[in-house]
Amino acid sequence: MSPAIAVEQLLNTAALSALLFLVSVGLSLVFGILRVVNFAHGMFYMLGAYIGFSIVSRSGSFWLALALAPPLVGLIGAALESTTLRFIYRRPPIYQVLLTFGLSLILEEAVRIVWGATAQAVDPPAWLAGSVTLGATVYPTYRLFLITVGAVVGGGLWLFLKTTRAGLVIRAVAQNGEMAGCLGTDVRRVRTAVFGLACALAGLGGVVAAPMLTAYLGMGIGVIVEAFVVVVIGGLGSIGGSIVGSLIVGAAQTWGGFFISEVAMAIMYAVMAAVLIFRPWGLFGDEE
Amino acid sequence: MKRWAPAGGVAVLAVLPWLLARHQLSILTELLIFGAFAMSLDLLMGYAGMVSFGHAAYFGLGAYGSALCLLHFQAPLPVALAAGALLAAAVAWPVGYLCTRASGIYFGMLTLAFAQLLYTVAFKWRDLTGGSDGLTGVPKTALWPGGPATAGPHAYYFLVLTVSVVAFVACRGVVRSPFGRALEAIRENERKFATLGQDPRRLKVTVFVVAALVAGVAGALAAPFRGFASPELMFWLLSGQALMMVIVGGMGTLIGPVLGAFIFLLLQEIASSYTEHWMLLNGVIFVVMVIFFPGGLVGALRGWWAR
Repeated sequence: MSPAIAVEQLLNTAALSALLFLVSVGLSLVFGILRVVNFAHGMFYMLGAYIGFSIVSRSGSFWLALALAPPLVGLIGAALESTTLRFIYRRPPIYQVLLTFGLSLILEEAVRIVWGATAQAVDPPAWLAGSVTLGATVYPTYRLFLITVGAVVGGGLWLFLKTTRAGLVIRAVAQNGEMAGCLGTDVRRVRTAVFGLACALAGLGGVVAAPMLTAYLGMGIGVIVEAFVVVVIGGLGSIGGSIVGSLIVGAAQTWGGFFISEVAMAIMYAVMAAVLIFRPWGLFGDEE
Repeated sequence: MKRWAPAGGVAVLAVLPWLLARHQLSILTELLIFGAFAMSLDLLMGYAGMVSFGHAAYFGLGAYGSALCLLHFQAPLPVALAAGALLAAAVAWPVGYLCTRASGIYFGMLTLAFAQLLYTVAFKWRDLTGGSDGLTGVPKTALWPGGPATAGPHAYYFLVLTVSVVAFVACRGVVRSPFGRALEAIRENERKFATLGQDPRRLKVTVFVVAALVAGVAGALAAPFRGFASPELMFWLLSGQALMMVIVGGMGTLIGPVLGAFIFLLLQEIASSYTEHWMLLNGVIFVVMVIFFPGGLVGALRGWWAR
């Protein structure tokens, strides 16, 4: 393998990991606050891709889609949380998981009704469409953009949680929701807001994924399975776990796919099986 | 009266073929197959509290196992059923081992992940599974070489009915055994169960394999019934439909999911003649049931009966 190809593969790993991170970090965040594994999370990623496609095809502006689609997806998520999930937090966890699974059936079919079953291509903005020369490697500019988005969101989220008052409240609820409620936090509002934020992040992932992968019906279930593998490897409930898990899954897929495309998936699962056997609570998770 | 209800149900099911048109009988056969499939999921969900989001994988494995057996060896049908069930159980063992490694919340995620892996394998392994086309022309062979044929709609219906009744009796035996009681104890409080000096994981893996075995039998019946096995039988949407059947019927009752399968498939039969987007309706019913009728139909009826 020449150095040029190695650099290319490293960048591909980073780009794929950035997408996985945008989805898995929301899954982790929601689990931290709501104690629910959101099976519908991948559907919000798909929704982001399709809403982005509609905005781009109407207005011709990718930036408008990037600005509008994630908050829209976030609002849809928050609306669904406050009309369904909110009522059953006191039940055993089995019901909440089942409910989010029901939501994913609804969202999958809703997308099929609105946008049809064919894949929709999204054009990236003109100045991201070409490629750049990095030493001996010629690399698509758009993927560098993906890496940037992942890094910016990761850094921004970390700063938000560590330095702002809202971040402090979220961390308090994650640590002990009952206590935070007693101290005057409106836990219900925090839950809805965090659910919406997580959906918006997944929607952002969908918008930026669409120019590379197109918007298609199977993308929701595809990405949620990969995000599950990410959080099983990294551990639920920590941003660091999401980052490391995304990088591992991204690397397994990129490098596995480089040698024999069929084994990419097998390698991903083999890594997950190894984590389950030796560290079942994930690399960054808490041992219960 | 309650004691005789199951016997009465079987008697009705045994007489029905003479009252139904050919198309209706074929729907009834399908209902029974999916009833057995949903029942096997209830064994996991309702008794052990383990919600699998990838149960269709074992239904599909059963279908592929029996289809391969029938296509390549023209094996007698019971042999094909056993092959399908054993294939499903053999795959479920390592998967169940891994899925129960981590704590409860991870179980559902892992079952879905492994089911999609198995689906992809079935999709990509063209030489063995026929890829996206699946295996077609699966024959209904005789019960034993030179024995009675099962190809007629009545004969196949009675085969399915017999297998379903045996599966029901077996599952009921499992949940009423000490093993079944132990599963309920794990569902209620796994940590407490562990402090009593028992290993909950071994029992969880066992029930996962048993549920896969029963789902495999149902799948093995489905392949010759439909004449084909395809990757769709392992897809997450089918796992979701099985969950719906269990929830709508009432989990933890065994018979509830069978009723749920009947309702679900009849609803689908009716709704799909009006709209191709019946999954949306199903999803809404599912969500409404989870929020307002967590006990399902059987739970609601019992509550009404007790009043």
